[in-house]
Amino acid sequence: MEDDKRFRELIDRSFAEEISEGEGQLIRDHIRDCDGCRRHVELTARTIRGLREFTFTSEPDSNAQVREILAHHTQTRLQHNVQFKVWAAFAVALSMSFVGSALVYQVARLLTVPMHFDTAQVQASVLIFWLLPSFCAALRLLAAPGGNRGIA
Amino acid sequence: MLALPMTLNTTAETETAKIARGLRERDMELLADLVQCCQQRLVRYLLYLTGRREYAEDLAQETWIRMLQRGSQYNGRQPFDPWLFAIARNLAIDYLRKKRKAVQTGSLPDDHDAVLLLPSPDPSPFEAAARSQDAMRLAGRLQILAPLYREALLLRFQEDMSLREIAQVVGAPVTTVSSRIYRGLATLRSAFEEGDSHGG
Repeated sequence: MEDDKRFRELIDRSFAEEISEGEGQLIRDHIRDCDGCRRHVELTARTIRGLREFTFTSEPDSNAQVREILAHHTQTRLQHNVQFKVWAAFAVALSMSFVGSALVYQVARLLTVPMHFDTAQVQASVLIFWLLPSFCAALRLLAAPGGNRGIA
Repeated sequence: MLALPMTLNTTAETETAKIARGLRERDMELLADLVQCCQQRLVRYLLYLTGRREYAEDLAQETWIRMLQRGSQYNGRQPFDPWLFAIARNLAIDYLRKKRKAVQTGSLPDDHDAVLLLPSPDPSPFEAAARSQDAMRLAGRLQILAPLYREALLLRFQEDMSLREIAQVVGAPVTTVSSRIYRGLATLRSAFEEGDSHGG
């Protein structure tokens, strides 16, 4: 009885995973004389065969639906990527605009005395000829239609 | 003569590496191929896990979306199917847990897999899918069998995955997987043992 239990475990194992040639031979020799274990082999084989005789079909348009969903997600993700890049470029351009303006202002202030400029003139020039154009250039990044941004 | 094929073998991109690259780049052609090859199997797997057709279809769609979001995590060094099925499994467990918590007053054990130990109380989709007398006899048992065992049987005998691949999907040791298969087989086998002993 104990022997049969051990053999039935081995039989189950032979169906579920690889067993050695020696173990296979052991099973074959045993079931030649043991009706109970032979029946165990037959029933297990029948069970596994039965399991393979289930046919599940998904909805006819299920594949098309999934493809559509994936395409939509991919497209949305691309759009988000482009938007993110545009805002990142805008942030960089804006900060460069301010940093650049500050630098230009400092340089112009150094030149104020030798070139006899007024401080107010320097401030106005930096504002009109540097800060505003560069700020507008940064803003234009946001305004340009997707295809013209050169980022996507 | 042998040098050329060997060189080609070493330089050619393996199938899984191709899938990994396609997922990173969101290659629609590759995604369509994957859907074509896996959607039906995914629905079947989720049906075995949840025991409900409508859950399975919804969860399969969720799985594809999650796969797309996590595409960059697939490294192409392991087979693709177990990775995809593992995503589906996690989604299914979360979904079932939410569903059952909503209808049960008693709390579930705090184990990730615990929800899969409860047999599904819903009508059987297995009877509808049975294509032989034997399958029909197994259908009733499959419905009351805990999804953990159903899952192991499906992955081994219908998906033909190795025990190691199944272990990867279910996140359990190989020994646990094999014992689930044996217990599942024993339950299903009894359908024939009892049937035959009653003269069926």
